[in-house]
Amino acid sequence: MVVVLVLVSIAIITIDERGGSRVSSDLRNAASRVFAPIRKGVDDVLRPIGNFFAGAVNYGSVAQENAKLQATLGRLRQQQAEQAYEQRQLRQMAALLHLSYLGSLQTVTAQTVTVNVSNFVASIGIDKGTADGVALGMPVVGAGGLVGQVVQAFRHSATVRLLTDGRSKVGVSFGRHATQAVVNGEGSGDPLAVDFVPPGTPMRKGQVLFTNGLAGAEYPNGIPVAFVTSYDTVPGASQMTVVAQPMANLHQLTYVDVVLWEPAP
Amino acid sequence: MTGGDVARTGLVVLLFLLVQQTIALNIVVAGAHPDVLLLLPIVTGLGAGPARGAAMGFAAGIVADLFVPAPFGLSALVGTLVGFAVGSLVNYSSRSPWWVVPGVALTASAAAVMLYAVLGAVLGEEQFLRADLAAIVLVVGVANALLSLPALRLVIWSFGVNRERGTLAAVGRR
Repeated sequence: MVVVLVLVSIAIITIDERGGSRVSSDLRNAASRVFAPIRKGVDDVLRPIGNFFAGAVNYGSVAQENAKLQATLGRLRQQQAEQAYEQRQLRQMAALLHLSYLGSLQTVTAQTVTVNVSNFVASIGIDKGTADGVALGMPVVGAGGLVGQVVQAFRHSATVRLLTDGRSKVGVSFGRHATQAVVNGEGSGDPLAVDFVPPGTPMRKGQVLFTNGLAGAEYPNGIPVAFVTSYDTVPGASQMTVVAQPMANLHQLTYVDVVLWEPAP
Repeated sequence: MTGGDVARTGLVVLLFLLVQQTIALNIVVAGAHPDVLLLLPIVTGLGAGPARGAAMGFAAGIVADLFVPAPFGLSALVGTLVGFAVGSLVNYSSRSPWWVVPGVALTASAAAVMLYAVLGAVLGEEQFLRADLAAIVLVVGVANALLSLPALRLVIWSFGVNRERGTLAAVGRR
């Protein structure tokens, strides 16, 4: 019996890995639909108890108000960063680059319902899905910049892989010469690594990195991704060692915006 | 197993899933949260033997896989192996010292987390090995050790064990 179960598990993994993910996707979709109201019901019961033990009489409303303010602050930071990006690009004859701006793209606002359901995958679950226009690969922004990308889309929910996840890779550009680089996630809670920055590239702490929107890119152009926290050039190395932090506050993701933009197939 | 046993076992799995999705996910220590579904095959292997431990591991793993954006079936494979290994390697009876259950839960949880990371990396999820494994092992292991005794009681109840008939291990082999 044990051998059978092991073989069945391996068969399921193999089918899922070889493109049979439609079956697992349907199962996950069904589970999500069945379990979402149960989870919400239990959450509704447990949240007030948790708030009570937090010791503040009005903790719930204050927490909600704080979350909304954080979201507003994040949007303002994002707008500010986008404006800076816009001005920089205009100075560099942006008209020739055919920029696409987030402002011209439609978004769907979603509420975060789960955070990091696995210890090994940095992700959030949101309450909007294919019925709302959400599709695989769409960028998700909020609280100051890029949050991640939709990796599972169900009818009324979706899973977003966060920028910090180990599988996340984002093509970015920065600086006066629009230097190209790749921002890699290093795991939940860890800073981001910026790869392929040539030695001697002019850089400063706080430098904002934007999605580059190159042909075939997985994100549209001009979304603020991260800011540089440290950089160094090791003699003889083929690239600089650059560390960055996400522009978005990934600890305050009560609400996020899904950008209705799909990567080119 | 009777129909009642199956219904009770399903209820226990559902209860653990609820606890995982609503409470455990909100308890984050050093960036890691408990994984109580992993506890099910461990206590089932202890209380009801390797075959039932493996079956419970498969069932709980498939349920866990439904909610995690990772290779589908990976948790089921790890659960099956862990449930079988605990049931085979640990000779538990109702006369065993009290600390055996939490001790096994701690050790087996740590092994399961490592196994999950390694198998995930083999399947192309190399970032699983870059996760803070020490923190995950510690948080999952300690949480499961703390919950192991009540979890074992639930498993005993779910399998319809009549404790007057003898040790749990004997029941597991009937």
